Amino acid sequence: MRTQAKLYFSILVVTTSIFFSGCKKFLEKDLQGTLTQQLFPTSPSDALLATNATYEAVREWYYSAGGFPIFDIMSDDARKGSNPDDAASTVGPYDVFTHTTTQDGIDRYWNALYVGVKRANVVIEKIPAIAMDEELKTRYIAEAKFIRGLIYFDFVRAWGGVPLVTTTDPPLKLQRSSAEDVYTLIISDLNFAIDNLPLKSEYKNTEIGRATKGAAQALLARVYLFRNDFPDAEKYAMDVITSNQYGLEPLFIDANGVNGNNGVESVFEVGALQSEITTGGGNQYANTQGVRGTPNRGWGFNRPTIDLRNSFETGDPRYKGTVINLGDTIDGIKILGDGPTPDITYDEHGNIIEIECYTRKVWVPGDNVITQYGHHRRLIRYADVLLMAAEALNENDKPGEALLYLNQVRQRARQGNNAILPDITTLNKDELRDIIFNERRHELAMEGWRFWDLIRTGRAAQVLGPLGFVAGKHELLPIPQSEIDISQGSLTQNPNW
Amino acid sequence: MYDKILHKRKPVLMKACLFLLMVIGSSGLSFAQVRTVKGTVTAADTKETLPGATIQVKGTSTGTVTDVDGKYTLPVKTEKAVLVFSYVGYITKEIELGNQLVVDAILELKKTTLDEVVVIGYGSVRKSDLSGSVGSVKSEDITKITSFNPVQSLQGNVTGVQVTSPSGTPGENPAVRIRGVGTFGNSNPIYVVDGVIVDDISFLNSNDITSMEVLKDASASAIYGSRGANGVIMVTTKMGKTTDEKTVFNFSGEVGIQNLAKKIDLLSGRDFAIISNEIKSGTYNNVDAVPNTDWQDLIFHSAPVYDFQLSASGSAKNIQYYISGGYFKQGGIIDKSNYERITLKINNIYNLSQYVKLGNNITLAPYTQQVAPNVTYEAYRAKPTLEPYYADGSFAAVTGVGNPLADLEYSNNFNKGVRGVGNIFMDVNFLKDFTFKTSFGVDAGYNRSESFTPAYTVYNPNGSISQQQNIMSRLTKNNSYTFTWLWENTLNYKKEFGKHSIDAIAGYTMQNATSNGLDIAGDNLIRDGESFWYILPSYIYDPSNDVNTISKIEESVNLQQYYSMISFLVRVNYVFNKKYIVTATFRSDGSSKFATNNQYASFPSFALGWNVSEEKFMQDIKWLNKLKVRASWGKLGNDKIDYWERYARVQSDLPAIFGINNDPNSGASYGINGNPNLKWEVTTQTDIGLEFGLFDSRLTAEFDYYNKKTDDILVLLSTPGYLGNGSGAKVMFNAASVVNRGIEFNLSWRDQVGKLKYNVGVLGTTIHNEVLSIGGNSGVDSVLIGGYLGNGLPVTQSKVGLPIGAFYGYQTDGIFQTQAELDAYPHNSQAVVGDLRFVDVNGDGKIDGLDRTYIGSPIPTFIFGFNFGFEIIGIDFSVNIQGQTGNKIFNGKEAVRPDPYNFESHVLDRWTGPGTSDTEPRASFGGYNYTPSDHFIQDGSFLRVRNVTLGYTLPSSWSAKIYMQKLRIYVKADNLYTLTKYTGYTPEISSSDPLSSGIDNGAYPITAVYSIGINLNF
Repeated sequence: MRTQAKLYFSILVVTTSIFFSGCKKFLEKDLQGTLTQQLFPTSPSDALLATNATYEAVREWYYSAGGFPIFDIMSDDARKGSNPDDAASTVGPYDVFTHTTTQDGIDRYWNALYVGVKRANVVIEKIPAIAMDEELKTRYIAEAKFIRGLIYFDFVRAWGGVPLVTTTDPPLKLQRSSAEDVYTLIISDLNFAIDNLPLKSEYKNTEIGRATKGAAQALLARVYLFRNDFPDAEKYAMDVITSNQYGLEPLFIDANGVNGNNGVESVFEVGALQSEITTGGGNQYANTQGVRGTPNRGWGFNRPTIDLRNSFETGDPRYKGTVINLGDTIDGIKILGDGPTPDITYDEHGNIIEIECYTRKVWVPGDNVITQYGHHRRLIRYADVLLMAAEALNENDKPGEALLYLNQVRQRARQGNNAILPDITTLNKDELRDIIFNERRHELAMEGWRFWDLIRTGRAAQVLGPLGFVAGKHELLPIPQSEIDISQGSLTQNPNW
Repeated sequence: MYDKILHKRKPVLMKACLFLLMVIGSSGLSFAQVRTVKGTVTAADTKETLPGATIQVKGTSTGTVTDVDGKYTLPVKTEKAVLVFSYVGYITKEIELGNQLVVDAILELKKTTLDEVVVIGYGSVRKSDLSGSVGSVKSEDITKITSFNPVQSLQGNVTGVQVTSPSGTPGENPAVRIRGVGTFGNSNPIYVVDGVIVDDISFLNSNDITSMEVLKDASASAIYGSRGANGVIMVTTKMGKTTDEKTVFNFSGEVGIQNLAKKIDLLSGRDFAIISNEIKSGTYNNVDAVPNTDWQDLIFHSAPVYDFQLSASGSAKNIQYYISGGYFKQGGIIDKSNYERITLKINNIYNLSQYVKLGNNITLAPYTQQVAPNVTYEAYRAKPTLEPYYADGSFAAVTGVGNPLADLEYSNNFNKGVRGVGNIFMDVNFLKDFTFKTSFGVDAGYNRSESFTPAYTVYNPNGSISQQQNIMSRLTKNNSYTFTWLWENTLNYKKEFGKHSIDAIAGYTMQNATSNGLDIAGDNLIRDGESFWYILPSYIYDPSNDVNTISKIEESVNLQQYYSMISFLVRVNYVFNKKYIVTATFRSDGSSKFATNNQYASFPSFALGWNVSEEKFMQDIKWLNKLKVRASWGKLGNDKIDYWERYARVQSDLPAIFGINNDPNSGASYGINGNPNLKWEVTTQTDIGLEFGLFDSRLTAEFDYYNKKTDDILVLLSTPGYLGNGSGAKVMFNAASVVNRGIEFNLSWRDQVGKLKYNVGVLGTTIHNEVLSIGGNSGVDSVLIGGYLGNGLPVTQSKVGLPIGAFYGYQTDGIFQTQAELDAYPHNSQAVVGDLRFVDVNGDGKIDGLDRTYIGSPIPTFIFGFNFGFEIIGIDFSVNIQGQTGNKIFNGKEAVRPDPYNFESHVLDRWTGPGTSDTEPRASFGGYNYTPSDHFIQDGSFLRVRNVTLGYTLPSSWSAKIYMQKLRIYVKADNLYTLTKYTGYTPEISSSDPLSSGIDNGAYPITAVYSIGINLNF
């Protein structure tokens, strides 16, 4: 009898006690192994983590125009590449300006840029409240503002005005700001960066690769160049030149190659490790364009055009530094190329319209896919700064100074062979403008600038018209249709799309 | 009152002593009068004697069973004894003994199924007292299909239930949908195995199951409240009967052979060469001299399947028991794939006293699964003009695809683990009508995944390295552990007085689930052999070898299996005069997946039933013996989401690379935004049902109309890009509504003509699935894109007015026959003559992404089954046919073509000039014609002979001579024949993701199985 009573009693006690005690507690399940945003960043070490993450945003594959280097493909310098059928309907249309508002890649690019903006905003908005070394704190914020300026400049080039997000908690519905407002933010961010970032030489060896005063100045020069504000472009380009922080790599291939990683010519680059995973430090940018087939280095998109190949001045060593042909041997590795890709493509009249070749600018020594991910993409290099200075100086009627910087670039390019690439001597402004423009094409080929140079100088319709470019439309990308749909009409489309 | 209860009890120990005394007493010291009663038990229908029938003295434990001739002898002590005769499938008969010494019994066959007892949540009811819609499958039907997962048996046997296998991979769980798809996330029902709530029943051996009940409408499933929305499948495992004093042994053994049910019709080497030359002239110099490799023949072969089970059940001294051991092994029709499982089952009930019962139901299931790489898809794509091996016997390169045989050779993927599911419970009966039950159940699993790929290289014919290469050997492991406990306490009140019958239950339950996984990976192992598949830190620092690099260590919780719940439940079932049934159910659930403000939700349901046939005015209608109408309404919930959806998360794997040494510098920042306002998804379901039995219940029928509307669906939506969540990232919202409605019917005719017993049944379900809203005012996307193909292109779009996961793409309208036609119509710049003509749906004069439109639904509008069976002179035969209509399949494996692959044979009908074809475009290796369009949509309707069984049961007099109660041998065939227009391996294409169903991406095909088996009772 007692046993039974005990049994019932204990059940009663256990049930009721659990019932009344633990309900609330029992239903609490905290986030496991992951921080919530409310708890981050709160310490000096958090501040460093948040700042570092902004750099990761520009190593993301989609940061590279949605994964594919579509801006070169949209220029006269590159074709889609890979084998003819690969991504024919996704990347192919950019080649001939038949891309649409739903085109694959545009939405990814848009989204990836805003990821970078968000990360920069975390630093800019949250770090001021952290108790820490004030100088370091300011530098972190300046680094983030540099990244934010860099990304909004990508935005405004690609789409014009976009929703301007400057907080980590924007409202669900936003409208497009004007391009002018976007530029205002970019200029203000970069000025803050210029005022508060160290010179490249002031960083420790282990910190090389972070944003510098020089990088911010060079970027601002580029911004002004796009706005045809040549006095300001000149000012900031000259600031970089006179800072004595930079120079040209003796070898042209090192300007983008592994030997020049974080080297003297590097004004701002994206460091990467040889890993196939972005979160493991890799960058798929080079894999996308790497040699297809044998050796198997990548997918082989972004193929130099016949036009680009033929446009180099006779004997210009930069041709070899830009184009990888089948049969070449690079770093001891023989390039055989891709089986299903035709080595030569003819049109109906028997003219050669495409040759299987690859871009040398992303080459990393190796014979496999993984190594290719270690390519450090150069976002700003000193040769570009020199050419920007030259261009601005010429526009500001200082052709003599312009020649000085232009010829520095040509001198390095000729690699000591005085029989080629003679110094430019003309002082005729229009002539010099064309020469500098042409120099940019060959110095910076396949690095993503040709399309923008054509747009900002108003030459796009003439050069790209035959490829399908429509003036008044193709200067900008369409706002991704999916974003317009999600916004339920609060985002408007660019003209003529 | 409490005291009174206690006083009524006798301590267990005392009872035991008493019992002992009684036993001793009865054996030698008894003064009671003992008579020996004899008799024969015969069946009324066959007039044959029934061996193994049970005879028991009512109210005592005295009893016996009939011998092989149906005869028995039983010592009876008391005069006023009542003998209870029972036999499976027959109506139990009670006979007052009186003064008789010979009592023969004739047992009537149970004809009607209407009064069977049906298991429902937290109890069981007579079917006539049921107001909800419940489908039921009994043991004999559960074991008909050879499968490791008993849920397969529901297909074609229960209306409203669709069971499809995502692939034929041995050990892969099927997707189960009850009354359509009501949500965008996890649409699987829950399973309640002897009271323990689990997510699947792959740990159960079919032979251990007595019955499976599918709770379909709100009245039936609302008692499971928050988890009832996708339906509930109640599984009851076997238990020894109190009447079986002699242990009943049961052996089932089955051996089968599996074959590829159907081959895909692909091009031969010669045909492929001809078409290749057409695409690019000169590809093959002599089309008559090319190899002809049938890659399908190379990877598929017959494979065996074994299923054995031995059980013992019965009762002894207040203990009912059922113990069994089972072994199931399924080889794969593709090498390096198989599944092997042992099941141990122990079910006991200990009748401690008249009032207290203890019990346990425990299953332990260790298993090993080997998973092959997806060589099915490789074999589909590999060019038939390539040889599998070079002359020296090494693997030949298969451009663009990879050599499937090499992939198989170098693949080693295993899942090994053990699953233990069980509960212990106690029932306490007090104050006559009350029962308190407490049950503590656990579902514990340990799984170890292991994958090893050695370093290898497949070379091109010219000796260069092909793309099929693994530079360093790689070993990856995942150890995961899952543990869920569930504690349920219910108080039941059951009383019949006068014309009233009340069955009420109230309960309180708690559940907690945790699951952890540890992923580790290592590269460059010191040796390839299985005994070196360890990731050993000690190897890392060996500078000479640089072996065993640890490339990954990551521990995480399983997002789906980390939660806790608290629930309160109440149900009252009231029946007046056996005619009028009222059921009210209420459940309140609290879940840790929602923030405090939305943690709890209530799920009520209400149902009415009317047994019209019990009314006086119906008594004269002799042909109509049963008629019942019922209606129910209720709300059900769903919280099957990742536990972390409400949290705004920080992403911590964002390193930056700095420094002259290229050092990774850790980075972390805001990742995806969570939604702290998440709340329960609620399904409101209405059901109207009609049941009747005609001609003495020879014909029984059940009709149901159901309407299931799900609101506040928990759905992952794309957010505006400027929120910075990233491309493809989605945030969960309560932001969609879906309706599923339709009619279910189940007609069955059972009769006996002379010695021939036969039955015919048809059942069917119509499904109308429609998205009513998405996004709403949440400021997020109003269409839901999914169904991504291998090339990343999406082919489903769920939007208002269309079914969930509706296919979308370009609509085709023939083929451009001439240049003039091409010029006259809007077309994509890549289109040339001979290409598909896409319809300019929005009429803007150009073809672009905005012209993609609805091109078909993956959800069938009608699913049906047909059963036929007969028994005569020991022979039993049954056929089970099932099918569906109205759904489409997207042939995704055909639509992805970055490289030249083999073609399906319909390409032979290609366009080759004006007028040659208006459906099949010119041949091409990818490109424009492979843009997702209705060209890849096929009819998914089918009719399948799912099972044919022919068995023979030895006459009992024969089997008795070899000491058997029953001996049955049988042959059967599963998936014998399928009638379909679909060109793939099987039209049953499914996916665990409702946004990706009906897309054939080249999965492991299902098999036809031919088996022989034996059932023994002894």
